[in-house]
Amino acid sequence: MQNMIETKSITKTVNTSEGSLQILQPISFEVKAGESIAIVGASGSGKSTLLGLLAGLDEVSTGEIYLDGQGLHTMDEEQRAQLRGDKVGFIFQSFMLVQSLTALENIMLPAEINGLDKPKQRALEILEQVGLGHRAHHYPNQLSGGEQQRVAIARAFITQPKILFADEPTGNLDAANSDKIEALLFDLNQQNKTTLVLVTHDNELAAKCQRQLNMHAGELTETTVDSVTTTVDVESQREAS
Amino acid sequence: MNTTFNLAWRLFRHEARRGELTIILLAIVLSVAAVLSLSLFSERLQQALTDRSAEFIAADRRLNSRTPVDEQWLVEAQKLGLQTAEQVSTRSMVFGENEMALADLRAVNDQYPLKGAITIAPEPFAPAADIDGTVPPGEVWIDSRLFQLLDVSIGDTIYVGDAELTVTQVLGEIPDAGFSVFNTDPIVLMSMADIAATNVTGPGSRVNYKAYFTGDASTLDDYYDWLRPQLDDEIHYWMSIEADESAVGQAVSRAERYFLLASLLAIVLAAVSIAVAAQRYSQRHFDPVAIMKTIGASKQQIQRVYILQISFITILGILIGSVLGIAIQQVVVTALGDSVEVSLDVWHWRPLLIALFTGSLCALMFSLYPLMQLFSVPPLRVLRKDIDASLSSRTIQFAAAGSAIFLLMWAYSRDLTISAILFASGIVLVVGLLAVTYGLIAVGRKLGGGAMGPWQLAWARIRRRAMDNSVQLISFSITIMLLLVVLVMRNDMIAQWRAQLPEGTPNYFVSNVTEAQRPALVEQFETNNIRYDEFFPVVRGRFVAINDERIRTEVTKEDEEPAQEGRDGLGREANLTWDTELQTENRIVEGRWLDQWQPGMPHEVSVEAEVAERLNIKLGDILTFNIGSEIVRVVVTSLREVNWQTMQPNFFFVLHPAAMENFAATYITSFHLDQSRKSEITRLMLPFASVTLFDVDARINQLRDVVDQVSLAVEFILILVLAAGSLVLIAQVQASMDERQQELAILRTLGAKGRLIRLSVVFEFLIIGIVAGFMAALANEFSLWLLQSQVFQMEASIHWEYWAVAPLAGAIVVGILGALGCWRLLALNTSTLLRKMV
Repeated sequence: MQNMIETKSITKTVNTSEGSLQILQPISFEVKAGESIAIVGASGSGKSTLLGLLAGLDEVSTGEIYLDGQGLHTMDEEQRAQLRGDKVGFIFQSFMLVQSLTALENIMLPAEINGLDKPKQRALEILEQVGLGHRAHHYPNQLSGGEQQRVAIARAFITQPKILFADEPTGNLDAANSDKIEALLFDLNQQNKTTLVLVTHDNELAAKCQRQLNMHAGELTETTVDSVTTTVDVESQREAS
Repeated sequence: MNTTFNLAWRLFRHEARRGELTIILLAIVLSVAAVLSLSLFSERLQQALTDRSAEFIAADRRLNSRTPVDEQWLVEAQKLGLQTAEQVSTRSMVFGENEMALADLRAVNDQYPLKGAITIAPEPFAPAADIDGTVPPGEVWIDSRLFQLLDVSIGDTIYVGDAELTVTQVLGEIPDAGFSVFNTDPIVLMSMADIAATNVTGPGSRVNYKAYFTGDASTLDDYYDWLRPQLDDEIHYWMSIEADESAVGQAVSRAERYFLLASLLAIVLAAVSIAVAAQRYSQRHFDPVAIMKTIGASKQQIQRVYILQISFITILGILIGSVLGIAIQQVVVTALGDSVEVSLDVWHWRPLLIALFTGSLCALMFSLYPLMQLFSVPPLRVLRKDIDASLSSRTIQFAAAGSAIFLLMWAYSRDLTISAILFASGIVLVVGLLAVTYGLIAVGRKLGGGAMGPWQLAWARIRRRAMDNSVQLISFSITIMLLLVVLVMRNDMIAQWRAQLPEGTPNYFVSNVTEAQRPALVEQFETNNIRYDEFFPVVRGRFVAINDERIRTEVTKEDEEPAQEGRDGLGREANLTWDTELQTENRIVEGRWLDQWQPGMPHEVSVEAEVAERLNIKLGDILTFNIGSEIVRVVVTSLREVNWQTMQPNFFFVLHPAAMENFAATYITSFHLDQSRKSEITRLMLPFASVTLFDVDARINQLRDVVDQVSLAVEFILILVLAAGSLVLIAQVQASMDERQQELAILRTLGAKGRLIRLSVVFEFLIIGIVAGFMAALANEFSLWLLQSQVFQMEASIHWEYWAVAPLAGAIVVGILGALGCWRLLALNTSTLLRKMV
């Protein structure tokens, strides 16, 4: 199976008032197409930073990232935007809906921006799928948290992305809603054969993914399914490549 | 492109409906409405006032000539579509059956007057009323005094030169009679058709020919361009009302400048409010932009969407603003309709163009930087809310804003001085404020220590947002300063106008009072309880030489109406007075006053500064006058500036009494007779038939009317600017409330009491209000001084009261607005606040 994501020794360094700070140590790993992985770790461990890099929202300081075979690290912001529009879907902890657009219009937005045909029809279909057909013309602030996240999921899937990045998708929801959202997310993921990269500090949610990567102080280790922890051997991977 | 347009339109529609665009829309509406209504109103008012002042020359333009006006010139004017009229005037004796008198003959054609009206009275000295048309051939309309002097009544005939004409009306006033206190002969109005028969205009007689023109300004200018090369400066004199330096003319032109100033300030206010609103607009759209970028929108798509959205807002704002502006103006014009003669049927395009230009330029230039900021928001913001726009240089913002404001001022005023003054004082203010803000913040850092009370919280907040606060402080200060400038300017101006014409201003002048008549006249005044002024001695003399060099130039005007009759007045005759006391409203500008003269020194004279300049008279020059058969030589020891606006006799030449000892003087004085007692005038003056009486009530009323109208208009404009300013303040407070929202939510969540939060916000705004008010008072003083001394030709003065009023008002208004905005936020529950935060 081909690699949907491949990183080679990526690092991230930021400049602060007290000098430069490396917030990601060199990281190399691969994610196969259709795989689901969870990146877990405590707050401040660097998992969101990693997500930002993988999704092409931010630039690596060093190293290489390939998304569906395309080198993100060589692209400028415009090219990355194009790539995101074509291949990537996003779900955020804070939903990130455009407040002045209705549920339906929020879902249509990526389809319109990326020039897909019949955006409205597609949006209505997927809105039904997430069970919000009756809320199409409501604004985000008229929806509950769970409903907003369902709209966000619908928006993420409308372009049938190859990769879906989810940042704490249930972080702002109560238990009951969390379950529903998780179920929906994994359902759609399977239906669409999407590669899922999920950032969470919820171990239960992480356990539902095929692989779990653990971030700690900017370093990544992989937890295997049989609960035996092995360090992702950065050096050996680098040699292998 | 189509998708982008749809998206932009959809966003615009929804956001407009949800009230998210209200502030920026309001700002544009406000700027367009304010500029449009102000300029439309002032344009109309100016038109009305110009028309009004045109009455003083009986036309829009007048050509005075010493030789008959070339018939071809009138034909050419008519060809261009101008209306024309003619007058021939001279001084001549007129005869009744038994008596004769010197009269001011005015022969006019049927078109006269083109502006204003002739007034007639039912009987001599009775109040006069307008009459349509003019005197027909064979008839004369004569001044009340002539009925006395010639001992005639209506229906009698009088002789003018060789012609015999019937007296048919008591003449009240003609529009361009002029206003001369001295030697004013009573007017005889007759038809131009009869002038030839009189034979008074033959060779050797001094005759003045006048041609009158009315029409639209550009045609008149074109005509003058055509005419000018054919005019001879020695013979012709072209007059327009713009050149009118009379009290009315000055009041009007000062008011015009005030309107201009107010409109300019309205533009600046509008610009400030748009700038604040655009900043807020941009910040509120950081998230949507980050989201769109995240899901694949290209930079170009984002730019198109938001530029389109701003365009929609601008267009809508301009539309609403135009309608509102026209409506406001219409309401005001209707409301003032009774007291101000504003023509409603004339439509002026320039104000609309200016308003459209203002709206679009402001929207464009002031949203430029916020939009650029918006476009630069990185997509990573979807993950990390603390990431703001990456554009941080404010140079573009300041350059764009500055050039926009300057451009607008210049385009609007077409006056580089006034624009530069306002612009420069604005820059001084901004720089000063930045310095003061940082100074205050440094002070606050020391004061703000200790336990967290509302004061400490307020200071902490001010300190933390130093840059934001300085921008906010600047916008508050500019707003308050502009309001102050408009307010104080209006107060000063109206006060000066009113001071010109206090209650009891003399409304009659008498001249030719002999030494013998003087005590009797005084007694007459005293017994009838009439307030009268000082008696000035007057001797007429011919001004013949400067430093023994004979002069040709004529000095003619000695009263409130310089220049108007300048060419055809009284020849080289000058009215000389003498006194050792300087008259009120006279000021020595060079040399020393006459009171230091000692016997044995050469006799001295004080000369009015303007005439001195015109005739090139310097201190130490010897002036020679012919009085009767005597020669008087005097040395110039002082030059005086004279306020010609006052209703008192003024003189070009004031001599030392010693120089005039040997001459018999006549006297001139003025008195005030109440409107209700006007019928007594005939009885009062009956014993003094040889005294010349001049009724200036009509003039005073005309002036008072104009001043009242202009004051009213100024008042209206003040209110409009105040309203605009208050809205700007509200917008500013609203904008800053958003920024406070997050902090309030956190404080609330942490369990801070509503009272603490509320007080801290109120205190914060109080502090900002006080500082802004104080700085505004300071800057106000600076720009007022520049404006009054450079533009309005007024005495600049310091306005201490506003140093207290401005900080107080600033604190109260800004504090209340802050408190209101804060209450609105506190009314929301914590979870709503928190939800709004994400």
